[in-house]
Amino acid sequence: MSTVTVESSRFGSLEIEAGAIIEFPAGLIGLGGRRWAVITKDDNGPFAWLHSLDDPSLALPVTNPWEFFLEYEVVLSDADSERFESADDVAVWVTVRAGTELTDFSANLRAPILVSQGQGFQVINEAAQAPVRAPLFPDAQSEAEAA
Amino acid sequence: MLIITRRPGEKIMLGDEIVVHVMEIVGNSVRVGIQAPRSVPVYREEIWNAVREENQAAAGSAPTELPDAPSREG
Repeated sequence: MSTVTVESSRFGSLEIEAGAIIEFPAGLIGLGGRRWAVITKDDNGPFAWLHSLDDPSLALPVTNPWEFFLEYEVVLSDADSERFESADDVAVWVTVRAGTELTDFSANLRAPILVSQGQGFQVINEAAQAPVRAPLFPDAQSEAEAA
Repeated sequence: MLIITRRPGEKIMLGDEIVVHVMEIVGNSVRVGIQAPRSVPVYREEIWNAVREENQAAAGSAPTELPDAPSREG
């Protein structure tokens, strides 16, 4: 299978299989970029990186929202749900704002990234409970506040 | 910026494919209908802005090593 090499400024040289490339027809909101791939690192636990193939310096940490938010729901507008044939083969990622402290980590539950059949869309989640900055480690937060 | 005055029921064309329909005015709100090809996503500006900011912040995330998930109880 053919591969694409990205000289990532974060990870060095990355070999990405052609089949793993995700085409984002509208890019990421405010960032653009049509071609991305999800990079998994062994030591990154529940996190992966959504890496741009167009800009080797551009990568966003992402996670499976259900690793952290068991009750998470994605509700799509009619226009967005028409983009997907079936909910069964849609992978859902949320972007992560990482920081130096655990209390700084949050996930954007309002704008999940949905991937299906090689295409990706960052959509607006219409669910009522979907903050753009949901703390990923709320227990760390309460400890910090208690101290 | 182009500024156009429209009455309820009137429309604005953006190119040949995007229609902005001023539907009604109720108090200090305007209801706007937007018809656009599927390839053109439509966002409320404040949400678009908030998401753009989060995307940029995520892209600027410092660490390459990321923490483990919290252990779940039960």
